[in-house]
Amino acid sequence: MKNGLKNIALGLALMSPLAFAGNGTTAAHIEAATGAYKQVAKETSYQWTVTVQAIKAAKKALEQGDDAGARRLAHEAMNLVNATRSQAKIEAETWQMRVPK
Amino acid sequence: MKRIIQTTLAGAIGLGVAFSALAGPVDDQAAFQKYYESRFPNTPTEDFANGVYSILPEAREQWESIEEFPPYELAIENGEKLYHSKFANGKSLADCFGPEGAVRGQYPFWDKDRGMVMTMERAVNECREANGEKPYRWKKGKIADVTAYMSFNSRGQEVKVEIPTDDSRALAAYEDGKEHFYTKRGQLNFACADCHLLTAGNLYRADTTSPAFGHATSWPVFRSKWQSMGTLHRRFAGCHNNIRANPYKAQGTEYSNLEYFVTYMSNGLEFNGPAARK
Repeated sequence: MKNGLKNIALGLALMSPLAFAGNGTTAAHIEAATGAYKQVAKETSYQWTVTVQAIKAAKKALEQGDDAGARRLAHEAMNLVNATRSQAKIEAETWQMRVPK
Repeated sequence: MKRIIQTTLAGAIGLGVAFSALAGPVDDQAAFQKYYESRFPNTPTEDFANGVYSILPEAREQWESIEEFPPYELAIENGEKLYHSKFANGKSLADCFGPEGAVRGQYPFWDKDRGMVMTMERAVNECREANGEKPYRWKKGKIADVTAYMSFNSRGQEVKVEIPTDDSRALAAYEDGKEHFYTKRGQLNFACADCHLLTAGNLYRADTTSPAFGHATSWPVFRSKWQSMGTLHRRFAGCHNNIRANPYKAQGTEYSNLEYFVTYMSNGLEFNGPAARK
């Protein structure tokens, strides 16, 4: 049950950047981006280096007391996760177009 | 009428994709090699083993002068020492791979017993571990030196990777490597095929991309950019970093299957490693 709720929350966050950008502490936003990153990596094996950099930068900004900057970076990381997921989905359907015949 | 034509066309395209998806390794390889031979008609087939220098005459002259005093020579010498130095139990790598280690042409191969692709680097480290020694690190250093020595003694051996037909897992590993090669990754949205097949020979900033046909023949390599020797999996990881994709583990399933595919595509060429590259 606990995992189910967690997955729903994660799904909502992934589906709607606007919903994600709403309430919650900045730390929660960073955690959500980190969780989504790991989830996409697990499901698709796709991982972008820039997402990790954004998450690390968000954590660092938060440690330094820059809440707004940290939140912006967390959102940036979440956008990158969503783009990664889209790439994996598109590629699963289209990679064969590049194979010489 | 128009609708019938559209439907027929869509069906034909669909079937084309389906046939393409179902094409086996033999057909894949023939189409792959034919692609490069058509794209670079002035390059003799066997010369694709020389990487970008097979298609770039202006850089070839410089490369040939580098090969007169090759930067990988020290690696071969060091590799020879490592190859023959005794383990604590009195044995050496020579007990696993023969007096000169001239076994490059046997790798990579499908290990049916373990259901995995066996690379030469993995075989070296497994030999060490079987004799109570610690494995070398995968991407550079001693593993590159030892395999430089082994590859040097194997020069001229034919690339003849096999996909056994009696084990569906081998074909699955090949297909996995194939998908990896053609799939876009990273924030820059590149597939291996984008640089090394579709736009091979084009400039990316100041660098010309090499044809993938022949990619697997020359490893390990001394790269000017690295100023050191490195293995094929080190290069895979570097490419992934360049396109802002997290690299996979060296000698993990992803890169081993990719090596299986890429090497199979170069069947018929000769192993010519170690080599010098930009």
